[in-house]
Amino acid sequence: MHRFRLLIYAFALFLVAEAHGQPNGHIQSSLVRITSTEVEPDYRAPWNSGSIGRGVGAGFVIDGQRILTNAHVVSNSRYLTVEREGDPNKYPATVQFVAHDCDLALLQVANTNFWKNMKPLNFGGIPALESTVSAYGYPIGGERMSVTTGIVSRIDFNLYTHSAIDSHLAIQISAQINPGNSGGPVMQGSKVVGVAFQGYSGDIAQGVAYMIPTPVIRRFLKDIEDGHYDRYVDLGITYTKLQNPAQRHFLGLKDDDRGVLVGTVIDAGPCGKLLQNGDVLLSIDGHPIASDAFVEYEGERVQMPEVVERKFKGNTVKLDLLRNKQPMSVDVTLGTVWPYFMQGHSYDIRPRYVVYGGLLFQPMSLDLLDAYRISDLRVRHFFDFFVNEQIYRQHPEVIILTNILPDPINTYLMPYRSSIVDEINGQKIGTLQDLARALEQPAERFVIKMIGDGPPLVLDPKQVESARERIKTRYNVIIEQNLDEQPPAQPAVAAQTNS
Amino acid sequence: MRLTALLLIACLANLAPAEAKKAPVALKKLPATAQGAVQAKEVSLVRVNVTGQPFDYFRPWQKKAPFSKRALGAVLPHDRVLVTADLVENQNYVELERAESGEKTAANVVVVDYEANLALLEPIDKKFLNGLQPLELALDIVVGDRLSAWQLESTGTLVVTEGIVTTIGVTRYPADVADFLTYRLSIPMQYRDNSYTVPLVKNNKLAALLLRYEPRTQVLDAIPAPIIAHFLKDAAGEHYQGFPSLGISFFPTRDPQLRAYAGETGKTGGVYITSVEPGLPAAKAGLQAGDIITAVGDHEVDQNGNYVDSLYGKLGFGNLLTAKAYVGDSVALHLLRDGKPLTLNVKLEHRGEDDYVVPPYNIDEAPSYYVLGGLIFQELTRQYLKEWGANWQKDAPQDFVYLDKFQSELFPEGKQRVVILSQVLPANSTIGYDDFSYLVVKKVNGKEIKSLADLAEAVKTPVNGFHMIETVDDPKQLELDASQAAAEAGALQKNYGLPAMERLR
Repeated sequence: MHRFRLLIYAFALFLVAEAHGQPNGHIQSSLVRITSTEVEPDYRAPWNSGSIGRGVGAGFVIDGQRILTNAHVVSNSRYLTVEREGDPNKYPATVQFVAHDCDLALLQVANTNFWKNMKPLNFGGIPALESTVSAYGYPIGGERMSVTTGIVSRIDFNLYTHSAIDSHLAIQISAQINPGNSGGPVMQGSKVVGVAFQGYSGDIAQGVAYMIPTPVIRRFLKDIEDGHYDRYVDLGITYTKLQNPAQRHFLGLKDDDRGVLVGTVIDAGPCGKLLQNGDVLLSIDGHPIASDAFVEYEGERVQMPEVVERKFKGNTVKLDLLRNKQPMSVDVTLGTVWPYFMQGHSYDIRPRYVVYGGLLFQPMSLDLLDAYRISDLRVRHFFDFFVNEQIYRQHPEVIILTNILPDPINTYLMPYRSSIVDEINGQKIGTLQDLARALEQPAERFVIKMIGDGPPLVLDPKQVESARERIKTRYNVIIEQNLDEQPPAQPAVAAQTNS
Repeated sequence: MRLTALLLIACLANLAPAEAKKAPVALKKLPATAQGAVQAKEVSLVRVNVTGQPFDYFRPWQKKAPFSKRALGAVLPHDRVLVTADLVENQNYVELERAESGEKTAANVVVVDYEANLALLEPIDKKFLNGLQPLELALDIVVGDRLSAWQLESTGTLVVTEGIVTTIGVTRYPADVADFLTYRLSIPMQYRDNSYTVPLVKNNKLAALLLRYEPRTQVLDAIPAPIIAHFLKDAAGEHYQGFPSLGISFFPTRDPQLRAYAGETGKTGGVYITSVEPGLPAAKAGLQAGDIITAVGDHEVDQNGNYVDSLYGKLGFGNLLTAKAYVGDSVALHLLRDGKPLTLNVKLEHRGEDDYVVPPYNIDEAPSYYVLGGLIFQELTRQYLKEWGANWQKDAPQDFVYLDKFQSELFPEGKQRVVILSQVLPANSTIGYDDFSYLVVKKVNGKEIKSLADLAEAVKTPVNGFHMIETVDDPKQLELDASQAAAEAGALQKNYGLPAMERLR
């Protein structure tokens, strides 16, 4: 069974690979060293601004006075500087576009001095297996450029650990890459064939590093041509291979090794009303789908999702299928499948929450569960099956009582921690907005029903009001709620400091 | 009585203050071997040697490697020997051995109760126990009493360790089915892997049997004499009934806002019923979620769920329904419903295996299974989940653990089993299905599957020559060629060493 999106807990260290073949001088006038000061949101005290950290990565100049790097190099950044070889200055930079689902970002540098003598690099294609590539960057934070070489080991779909939910084509190379090298170019001859982005920590695998190949990079650059990044699109279905002869016979298929069986159709996805469980997909945009879910595409044998991968929001894809043994075809207008997002990491946003009576309510997300290390079986189930059991229909957001700031009014409420809010005074709670609104209603008391057998949590609004200032002061809750997914304040575009 | 996780938290909170008190006592503890002029002869202990073979739930047609265990049994009147149930689980052969002479005889397991972790043995040779003074029960142990743990060295020498009872409370027993009265002791005991049944004795009377021991903290939990007495009285009857179970979950009402909401404003006691298991005594008597239990019989229940016991003081009210009540007894539950008092009489019953959707234990019972063309079907049981080892709650497939934990919520009707496609043996009929495992089966050949027997029945009627298997999660459907599957059965049995293609309950 193959899923369009895989949920895998990643172990990959973010690394930047640097490669280099021969020092050809060209690279040095294209490579940049990026220093990012970032603020990590604090999900356990979401009213705080979070912890400040600093990281180093690499990037390189491409046409149009732009710098390409990894999204994870600049994620959550509040201040960015870039440096170039042989120039003592640090130039402030800003993020122009960022694509967290494919770990790429474009930076701008306002200072014109920076661009003097900088040469853009050009992109090549997919390098052949066993051919040699060179990775360039600033491993483990060094000041001078580093180069390593290796060969192309494997070309396959792989999880991109930055978001932890997206899988795209990735190329495995044997060049040594280490943290601090992320975003650096991987070259073959004079062309960029990839951006080094992830690898394994040494105790899992060695000599295994990954780069983002040019089809993914080109797609990103094309997506942003309209001034906006739309994310990858997806069919929003699961499917299984059809290799069992009896099953093929049962479904009325010919003995031609074609077709995959549709399992779950996510109704929030683009196929929601078009496909159904039990359909057999026979071809995609005219490319026959083999029974192991591969298609011939641009001369390569690739996995079926690859056809969708190359497309953009609003594009259509034509699916030929068999439903109840009858052939039919559908045109799917592609889009994103939002319920998946909760299962991945998010960046550049402030955590959303509501504090009421010392009770902290937050919507479930991968980052939230990581921050609290929640092992509650029910919460984990809601997380794991959010998409496939279509829990999002009832609970577009799963609101968890994550923490309790102790106060006399909530002394006995600790056992309710980690439970999921179902109703308040008889009203279903599907989003954080719903919860905030319900708690604003005039009421004698709030009866908060949690999912499952437990007793309701009962709050007296008058007591909550009387405790409000006390709780705010004692726990330094600067702001009691954040309902919008607004991005944090970005630093002012760096002034044109002339050097 | 099934307790929720919430309740467990409440119980721990109850125990905590008492545990804190124990600390100073433990510090001035005595030497490991104390005042021990007890002779093995007058000790009324016999060795118990057990060999057995657990079933292999991953390969339900076979058993695992044999084991042997050695332990002590306490000699009781009427030529019976008391041991803990975990000693004799999955036993093939039980042997009693006189410590001083090495004389041996085979023994039968007369009664076993895995929930209370007690078992009663009977020697084949009736005279075997002659000369051993049967132990009487010491039923009056209270906090602060000193008890001696009796263990035998390999030489037959008695090792006596003394400890002090620090807490008496109602706690969950290892079978994870029910809560029973427990003594907690602080004791610097030598603990061996094979220390299954360790009697705890006061003045040559049996006070308790070891339930579990934590060598690091030297905390020992023991099955107390009142539970043993209940077990023995029940075992003396014609059919062993087991401990009664009410079939509710409850929650303390310490929160004044919850109390106000529940309409319980006058008095200070009572616990909030969070769920009532269908088909069990509480439901039959008409209890509802949201009721407040204020008293059980003549005993008032406080907001933490404690009553005042004449011997122990405050104690979880579950004790009134386990140690102090028997199956068939009628107990008056005094309730508040919507603020109005109400009394319901509950006729107590034991909750048997069939009252669970996912049975909590099936020991000494061969697991059922059904093989269809290389697809292995089984019923989901906790015994199966425990094959993932000590950390099964983390390591086993999480949707199965979820089904187990929330079974009464997910299957309010009860009276069914969860049938799973546990694994696929590669064969011609299952080509392409090799990767499927741990799938919950919904329908077979169009029929709802609520037990393995349903499945066995449904496969008798293939549809147009196909077996259609529908699963809850992806792939959602699998089909087999019925005649191919039937024809391949012999080869499958031979290749994979299956003694039979099915074993049904």
